[in-house]
Amino acid sequence: MLDIKNLHVAVGGKEILKGLNLKVDAGQVHAIMGPNGSGKSTLSYVLAGRAGYEITEGSISYNGEDLAALPPEVRAAKGVFLAMQYPVEIPGVTTMMFLKSALNAQRRSRGESEMDAIGILKTVRKKASALNVSEEMLKRALNVGFSGGEKKRLEILQMALFEPKLAILDETDSGLDIDALRLVAEGVNGLRAPERAMLVITHYQRLLDYIVPDRIHVLANGRIVAEGGKELALELEAKGYEQIVKDAA
Amino acid sequence: MSSAALETKETVAGLGEKYKYGFVTDIEMERAPKGLSEDTVRFISAKKGEPEWMLEWRLAAFRRWLSMKEPTWARVHYPTIDYQNAYYYAAPKNTPLKQSLDEVDPKLLETYKKLGIPLHEQMALAGVAVDAVFDSVSVATTFKDKLNEAGVIFCPISEAIRDYPDLVKKYLGTVVPVTDNFFATLNSAVFSDGTFVYVPKGVRCPMELSTYFRINASETGQFERTIIVADEGSYVSYLEGCTAPKRDENQLHAAVVELVALDNAEIKYSTVQNWYPGDENGLGGIYNFVTKRGDCRGVRSKISWTQVETGSAITWKYPSCILRGDESVGEFYSIAIANNYQQADTGTKMIHLGKNTRSRIISKGISAGKAQNTYRGLVSVYGKAENARNFTQCDSLLIGGECGAHTVPYIESRNPSARVEHEATTSKIAEDQLFYCLQRGLGQEEAVALIVNGFCKEVLQQLPMEFAVEAQKLVGISLEGSVG
Amino acid sequence: MTVALALPTRRVEEWKYSDLARALGDAGFGEASARVSVGAIPAGVEMFDLDEPNRPDWVKAHYGKLNGNAVSAISLAKARGGIALRVPKGKIIEDILPLDFAGEGHVRALLVLEEGAALTLSEKFDAHETRNTGFEIVLGPNAQLNHVRLSPVSDCVQVEEISLTLARNAVYRGHFANFGAKLSRIELAIVLNGEGAEAHLSGVSVLSGDKHADVTTKVTHAVGRTQSTQLFKKVAAGKAQAVYQGKVIVAHGANGSDSHQTAKALLLDGRAEADLKPELEIFADDVKCAHGAAVGDLDADSLFYLRARGIPEKDARHLLIHAFLEDALTDIANADLREMIRGAVSVALNEVSA
Repeated sequence: MLDIKNLHVAVGGKEILKGLNLKVDAGQVHAIMGPNGSGKSTLSYVLAGRAGYEITEGSISYNGEDLAALPPEVRAAKGVFLAMQYPVEIPGVTTMMFLKSALNAQRRSRGESEMDAIGILKTVRKKASALNVSEEMLKRALNVGFSGGEKKRLEILQMALFEPKLAILDETDSGLDIDALRLVAEGVNGLRAPERAMLVITHYQRLLDYIVPDRIHVLANGRIVAEGGKELALELEAKGYEQIVKDAA
Repeated sequence: MSSAALETKETVAGLGEKYKYGFVTDIEMERAPKGLSEDTVRFISAKKGEPEWMLEWRLAAFRRWLSMKEPTWARVHYPTIDYQNAYYYAAPKNTPLKQSLDEVDPKLLETYKKLGIPLHEQMALAGVAVDAVFDSVSVATTFKDKLNEAGVIFCPISEAIRDYPDLVKKYLGTVVPVTDNFFATLNSAVFSDGTFVYVPKGVRCPMELSTYFRINASETGQFERTIIVADEGSYVSYLEGCTAPKRDENQLHAAVVELVALDNAEIKYSTVQNWYPGDENGLGGIYNFVTKRGDCRGVRSKISWTQVETGSAITWKYPSCILRGDESVGEFYSIAIANNYQQADTGTKMIHLGKNTRSRIISKGISAGKAQNTYRGLVSVYGKAENARNFTQCDSLLIGGECGAHTVPYIESRNPSARVEHEATTSKIAEDQLFYCLQRGLGQEEAVALIVNGFCKEVLQQLPMEFAVEAQKLVGISLEGSVG
Repeated sequence: MTVALALPTRRVEEWKYSDLARALGDAGFGEASARVSVGAIPAGVEMFDLDEPNRPDWVKAHYGKLNGNAVSAISLAKARGGIALRVPKGKIIEDILPLDFAGEGHVRALLVLEEGAALTLSEKFDAHETRNTGFEIVLGPNAQLNHVRLSPVSDCVQVEEISLTLARNAVYRGHFANFGAKLSRIELAIVLNGEGAEAHLSGVSVLSGDKHADVTTKVTHAVGRTQSTQLFKKVAAGKAQAVYQGKVIVAHGANGSDSHQTAKALLLDGRAEADLKPELEIFADDVKCAHGAAVGDLDADSLFYLRARGIPEKDARHLLIHAFLEDALTDIANADLREMIRGAVSVALNEVSA
């Protein structure tokens, strides 16, 4: 599904990713682990198409298509979803209104018919209760005044609603206490499906106790320096990034 | 060319199409001779079949105007207006003095249909009565009979001068005096049509009233005058809309609106102003120099202004409230959008005279392109306004680094028990907000419209439901091409 | 030339709330020159009497160069004499520099802080005569100036314009305590000309009787990544009039400018007046600009709370007025000067609630 070859990405003229290779198949959950400044967030932004992340070399193929050529909203409609580390606040736009606009924009882009307000409301309510997203939250302005946990739950709710093909979770565990983390992880696990790939980006091993990946890649200094199964996370936890990076060199 | 640059270019090319009301109706017109003199004033008065007192009132205004100077304090710039090089009266030929809808020229009915304002009552928006003003005359007024049953007078002002002279005399010029300002005095001399509304004691007006102003003729100014009087304990909600053809010339629109609310009465006045704004290079567009004022004359009366200002090359407009009656309430909710080369200088005055008077100002200014957008407002508390309260929130949003957003609030208090609070912020559409929306599948323009509508929400909520949706769309359309 | 030197009338927007021509009467400011003196000049500070011939280069380079308002143009044209001070590069002056204005008429002052220099300035004046002061301040890169100005109660007209220019990373902190005059006008025209420059202004006014105090500021963020804050608190009793006009301008392209303005007034009597006009002129989009303004009286709930705990009403009011002014006072960096202003405020408040 996702095939990244020799990806070089510069931000503001500074090279952050320096020849990254990564392949993720449908139905799989891959984790990207790495220390601060290794390029984890850059990878998530370049996949989602944020402006200012310049691909200087290499390619990103998504279901055989050149992902880099597509504007972000087209990527979204084609099933690329990025659960952001810092979800953005948009005053005055209610969460429900936002969900409806985004869902229908994606449907339009795919040539599907728009869903009516009542249909969307029903769907959202059903999925919201599972994630403990209250009715009252849906009425509030998007992310405005939400706690860290509420913001992350809302991201996962959107993931459940949009049913993406490739879900990228950027530091979804940051700022969550253990109960919130469990709730979010349950939400994510519930969305594991044969047709869906997930890329879980995290600094810490603890998220991977709850979302168990098929494969782990260690990102350091803009490259994948180590790969392995889920046991690699434990090794990382024991040895620390510095040692793993040294071993790999 | 990069894809982003190409996209921007295409968007800009598409801009010419965005003003969908820019067409011209081809209809035979009758005009006053070009220029402005006492003869012009007499011509207009005669055309309207006005009584002598009205003509004298106009002539006094005209003489006064000759000695006045055009104001320059607003942050707007435009070439000197040649007042002699314009027409002050233009009306479709054969406009009957008292029209029934069957007599209205089909071309006019077609025009209003195209503008989204069907005038045939069976097709009209349920619950909304319309007075349709085309250049210098009212061409149709709907639901007059139904309103008459409730005792509500809703008619063109020229008709009111003939049919209800005592009421007109009682209120005309009492809120905006003839001498008020250069444009208001000009209007007093040459006003042609507009709407007169009188809601009798204790009556809650059974439907929304609205006037739709259309400028059609070229080289012609529109000078409408509207008076709304809400007698004791009555309520009325009124909405005006405005459009004009796309032309390279600038046309003047200098209106005067006077509102009077007596004891326990309430007037809600909403404007969706979509005059032609000029093209993306700043060519053409309407000069909208308007004086609007409401007088809360009675105790516990209330006047609420809501405006969505998206059109006009220049907007110069300060709908105000004189809070004379004890416990009276004034409100001003405003969205002003200026894109391309538009200039807007708009705001309000809240004059607290009575005890326990309250006012609230919510202003949302959006600047894009090379536009300049100014909020200018006065909150003045007089010595006798015990316990007066004002709250003002004034937010500016900038889109791009070539535009300007300015805030000029005046706060004057002379009463220690009064409380006045003012807050202002300036922000831009953050790159991360935009990216977030795009990532969730919204297109660029859709995302901008969504964010801006969120920014404006408190004001949009004030509009009557029938018009809120239209206004939301207009907010989006007005900003097309502003982010690229 | 005489046209340019005419006194501004109330029709001039910036003088809307201060009727200078009327307060001065037919005499105007007159032609006299006032004086300025430095109490004890701290070691390392250079001084030049502007009345002397052969101005040194640093005076020539800076004197009369900042564009002042109409009234400071008059002082520039008419003042004979005044003072110029310079703190040389890198020199950090620990002692407070006291600057005293006296006499009737026009007077000028120039203060130059060269790169990395630092100074604390205490400005006072003799309140018994009408005076028009023009003060230019030039802050070089990384220079730091703490400035406290105390305007005692005066029955005369007191006008001062301070023009300031700040180079990169220069920091100006100014506090303006004002107890009113027949007409008192302090105008600050500040230009943040270098990245990292900061201006922090604060002030308190305590006015009673028929006194007037007008603080007018104009802060221009000429380049980006500059910061300005303003906090002005005013208490007006009797028939006094407190005025604040503050304009913040962010120039085209000055992205990363950060500005915050707050002006609050308390009216204590039925005939007191407050006029506040916080203004923004923004020509760049990536900025953080906000202002707030409020006029009112003491919070009734707080007053009740204090009284319910046994504090007599008069004392409770006094306490709350002090509390209202306090956050503007804490901005004074130098502890000695802060205590001096606090003392002056206490004396003035005793007048007000007496």
